[in-house]
Amino acid sequence: MRQHGGWLQRGAAAGVALAFTVPVALGVAGTLLQGSGLWRPFAVTDTAPIHPMMAVLGDPRFLPALSLTLFSGLLATALVALCSVIVLVSSHGTRVWNGILSVLAPLLAVPHAALAVGLLFLLAPSGWLARLVSPGISGWERPPSGWTVPDAEAWSLVIGLLVKEMPFLLLAAAAQLPSLDVDQALRIGRTLGYAPARCWSRLILPRLWPRLRLTFLIILAFNLSVVDMAILLGPGHPPTLAVLLLQFLADPATRAAASAGALLLTALVALGCLAVLLAERLLASVARRRRTSGRRGVASYGARLGGQGIACLLLGTGLLSLAVLPLWTFALRWRFPDAWPSVWTLQNWAERLPRLVEPALNTLGFAAATAVLALVAGILWLEAERRGRVPRLDGLWYVPLLVPQIALLFGWQVAAIRAGVDGRWPTVLHAHWVYALPYVVLLLANAFRELDPRWSHAAATLGAGYWRTLWRVRLPLLRRPIAQAAAVAASVSVAQYLPTLLLGAGRHATLATELVAGQGGMDRRATSTLALLQALLPLLAFGLAIGWPAWRARRLGRASRTSSPTARVAA
Amino acid sequence: MMRLEVCGLTLRAPGGETLIDDLDLALHCGTVTVLMGPSGSGKSSVLGWLTGTLAPGFQARGQLTLDGRSLLTVPTERRRIGLMLQSDFLFPHMTVEENLLFGLRGGTRRARRERVTANLADAGLDGLGPRDPATLSGGQRARVSLLRTLLSDPAVLLLDEPFSRLDAARREQIRAFTWQRASTLPVLLVTHDVADIPAGARVIEIGAGGRAVTNAGDRPALDAG
Repeated sequence: MRQHGGWLQRGAAAGVALAFTVPVALGVAGTLLQGSGLWRPFAVTDTAPIHPMMAVLGDPRFLPALSLTLFSGLLATALVALCSVIVLVSSHGTRVWNGILSVLAPLLAVPHAALAVGLLFLLAPSGWLARLVSPGISGWERPPSGWTVPDAEAWSLVIGLLVKEMPFLLLAAAAQLPSLDVDQALRIGRTLGYAPARCWSRLILPRLWPRLRLTFLIILAFNLSVVDMAILLGPGHPPTLAVLLLQFLADPATRAAASAGALLLTALVALGCLAVLLAERLLASVARRRRTSGRRGVASYGARLGGQGIACLLLGTGLLSLAVLPLWTFALRWRFPDAWPSVWTLQNWAERLPRLVEPALNTLGFAAATAVLALVAGILWLEAERRGRVPRLDGLWYVPLLVPQIALLFGWQVAAIRAGVDGRWPTVLHAHWVYALPYVVLLLANAFRELDPRWSHAAATLGAGYWRTLWRVRLPLLRRPIAQAAAVAASVSVAQYLPTLLLGAGRHATLATELVAGQGGMDRRATSTLALLQALLPLLAFGLAIGWPAWRARRLGRASRTSSPTARVAA
Repeated sequence: MMRLEVCGLTLRAPGGETLIDDLDLALHCGTVTVLMGPSGSGKSSVLGWLTGTLAPGFQARGQLTLDGRSLLTVPTERRRIGLMLQSDFLFPHMTVEENLLFGLRGGTRRARRERVTANLADAGLDGLGPRDPATLSGGQRARVSLLRTLLSDPAVLLLDEPFSRLDAARREQIRAFTWQRASTLPVLLVTHDVADIPAGARVIEIGAGGRAVTNAGDRPALDAG
């Protein structure tokens, strides 16, 4: 194949890398400079020159916010790991596992804010769960007073993070299991006399963990720095550290302190990652000694059933929290303890739809543009990498996922203000693109690298040049992963709250910003309408991503049947 | 004397197709029984049923006993049926020695290590204990895999085309090694290569259509190792 166009491809890939790394670097540097007191772009002249770090450390809300963050972030992450392992060990290879796999993608696609609203409506004392068991089982004629959602101890946030992040880890694990030949390893382990749980702990998990490490660290970083879910499900007085820092940012007098706090949050995430890596080494050395002890363990069917029960409970909670949203949008009257609305109506939609058009169209516009641009950039980069025009830089794409959003966006916002581009549509789109591109590249990388090069060779021997081969052969063969990557990019964009808020300067109302901003101020019907719309857009994207390649394949199959000689003879 | 008996085994594939129809088998200590048949005839599924690891969707009917005790409700790990597959499946995150220690039952830490070392030496694999299995030759890997299975003290040994991936030169050597090591066990060998069949083995052929089972009876000694 001709190798012309190398400079063009190198230039395009360099453009992608620059568009990705420059805002990330500027954002982190800006936050670092502001937080360390070296740069005060928004200095308020009449305030005492307190070092930003001292300002944040001296704030009476800092320590309670920090302890809440540590509690909710670390506990949720530990539970995500523990429950994922329990679900895997107890369910893999059973019918329950097939059921689990079918609900992971939709649960992952739904934005955090929409799921958080659903959980509020499900778990609150007047929520759907309490209604389903009242008054028959519970005897409650009024909403019980034993708990609140959100609660001061952040338990609701822990549940929300667990329900949302466990599918992420399970899906990452499910993607890796086939390459580990789990079924045969279990078969060999069991014929050697080991109970299934021992086979998992000694044969599969030690090989699976290295492939999930980065995903787990991303979950840890997210759980420690989440904003939208913490606003909706977390405590308010004090809130978690990330939410407190967002409050600092709203006041010009404490903007620098917000950056200093973001640095502390980043350090916290880094320490958390370091602790995970140390714990991994410790556990690995213990496991290494134990795996050759010859102890076979005993299979416990009760434990297995219990594990499957945990899977059903957590994933069922996620699904129920989505199911409650449409109920509220069509409810005219739904008094406690009725399990279902007593009067249904379309009035909520009729009243609210005109006001939802703008945020919905904005959300759709950002999502579509993000998906297209992230796909183009990802394909450009991976093609350049495949042809050896750029080095393989997998670690680069993980940076925005590991650095707390708040630490990156505070600095980016200042840079955007200085450049006079804050609040503009392309600036917000750029931020969405930076957060969507890592997923697109990481999702497409394997498919691009594993596609048999002989397809291209075959096309070349038929006289097709590089671009024709790419457009007519390689991309159509990769239709399925490309469609899925586009859906992921769109759903990442739909979920973006902080980038839209901070870089949009409040000028671009999306479903995410409206939903979080309206928290506490709107009634359930209005909130559920917003949350349902926000949840439906990614589900629609995933539906298209699954349906379009399937439709193409069916159409091709039908055309093959009708044009085959036997079909013509039969006709 | 261990005796594994299969009585009236009928196996159906997920689509409903009958793979094995009314198969009777009796495996005795020190004898090799060979199950032969074309690809897809259900030979490996018989092994899956014997070990309790038959893939979901298959339907099976029949009796399985070890020394008169029914195994059908006994979980895989307690059946004491050892299995060697086409691929050696040495666990890549363990050294050769750790793979063998994983298979070995009971004993103190020191006794276990000594036994593994002695077995390695006896099998001509002296000094390979600390090695990564990926650095061994195909023949060495096959020997380690068989040793690991035997160290788990199985009552019966099932071999699912264990020689098919080896090159011709090593195949003969590993066959001899296998029959020597497993000489006291009841062995069921699944293969479609007649050269794999050891002298004095009892051969059972599954019909070409995959449904009928022909009990071929005892065969004269073949030129195996």
